[in-house]
Amino acid sequence: MEFVQKFITTFQFIVEGLWVTIGVTVVALAVGFVLGILAGVARVYGNKFLAGIGTTYSVVVRAVPVIVIIFILFFVISSLVDLTAFWAGSLALGFASGAYQTEIFRGALRSVSGGQMTAASAIGMSRWQAIRHIILPQALRLALPAWGNEATLVLKDSTLVFAVGVPEVLRRAEYVKARTFDPFFAYSVALLLYLALTLVTTQVLRQAENRYRLRL
Amino acid sequence: MTNSEAAKTQPIVRLEDIYKAFGVTEVLKGVSLSLMPQEVVVLVGPSGTGKSTLLRCVNLLSRPDKGRIWLEELEITAPGVNEDKVRQRVGMVFQEFNLFTHLTALENVMIGMTKVLKMDKRAAHAKALEELERVGLANRADHYPAQLSGGQKQRVAIARALGMDPHVMLFDEPTSALDPELTGEVLAVMQKLAFEGMTMMVVSHEMGFAREVADRVVFMEGGYIVEAGPPEQMFDHPQVDRTRVSQ
Repeated sequence: MEFVQKFITTFQFIVEGLWVTIGVTVVALAVGFVLGILAGVARVYGNKFLAGIGTTYSVVVRAVPVIVIIFILFFVISSLVDLTAFWAGSLALGFASGAYQTEIFRGALRSVSGGQMTAASAIGMSRWQAIRHIILPQALRLALPAWGNEATLVLKDSTLVFAVGVPEVLRRAEYVKARTFDPFFAYSVALLLYLALTLVTTQVLRQAENRYRLRL
Repeated sequence: MTNSEAAKTQPIVRLEDIYKAFGVTEVLKGVSLSLMPQEVVVLVGPSGTGKSTLLRCVNLLSRPDKGRIWLEELEITAPGVNEDKVRQRVGMVFQEFNLFTHLTALENVMIGMTKVLKMDKRAAHAKALEELERVGLANRADHYPAQLSGGQKQRVAIARALGMDPHVMLFDEPTSALDPELTGEVLAVMQKLAFEGMTMMVVSHEMGFAREVADRVVFMEGGYIVEAGPPEQMFDHPQVDRTRVSQ
């Protein structure tokens, strides 16, 4: 009975961090999505200059540990601009994810058959119109499986923002451990919450994949 | 001479001394050709002789290295000409259909109207249905390309090009990727278009179609036009040996 009681109290405390974890993940994925699309399109369809920026971003950021980027944003950048720990952490995570998403979208853009661009040009679309209305909608569908994988990675990487004190699931588990000197309940609850979140995310993305599958 | 007669005497497409090379391979070595309004010209000849390249020059999908091209009164090879605007006036149908895979048949026909011609959605919808009707596929409007047969895909591709109200239609081996039993439905649509007065430039190996529908057959080989003339002359009394052998 004591076991159950202990579990429930711990759960009730840590679960409040769930919204923070979801918040960090959603912000990071959204920021990464925008950066990834921009850099991906720049690399595949941009001129030398834009492609160079896209490549540099992707190569450099993927070579740096995410935690370092978080620290730079939190300790360096936030001394110049007013950033809360939540925003510093989320944006840093998004900046990192953007580099990986760049690769995902670059691959997807390249796998859209060249005939699609030719056909779009042939009905008088400008290059930009063709990318926006013909190439991107197909590339996004092709990117969904890989993007879903990236989403679960970012979800799990969201634990890293605990290092700058964002009260997400892992941080709150740390609080419990520090107070009770009992790591078992604290980490078990955290584990179960991440497991549940990841399973729900994968399910939702699988549905999306089936719904938007590109039939060739 | 009335104005409309004057317009009729002006070519829709005029190619003058076109040269094109890919790397060291010279594909077109000085080709000149004109298309009059409502004329159907079929380009024939062995593979790799520049027929498709010549066709692609007409809507600037391929830019000639040398030579000039007019689309009606406009010299499209002149510097500063907007390629996208040129292509709005020239319909093109490809060997591998190239339908937009994420769009239904109807949306494939509509998208050029709404995004390029900026028509409003309802007008575009109505016109797209008309174009699908024209190629006999109104009942497939909501099908995705993957749900259509090759022949149906190609007919949708024709409808997509027609939706832009082109002044001339280019066909690049439109039936070469089709099973033999599906070529008939595509050729029938093309024949109907020709009958309705569409100006057409067709690259094809379908000699039956050339004989029946073409006003002029142009035989190309090695980057040159070897012989050109009405189909009766080309098929029954060719002037050049090579034309005779090719039949």
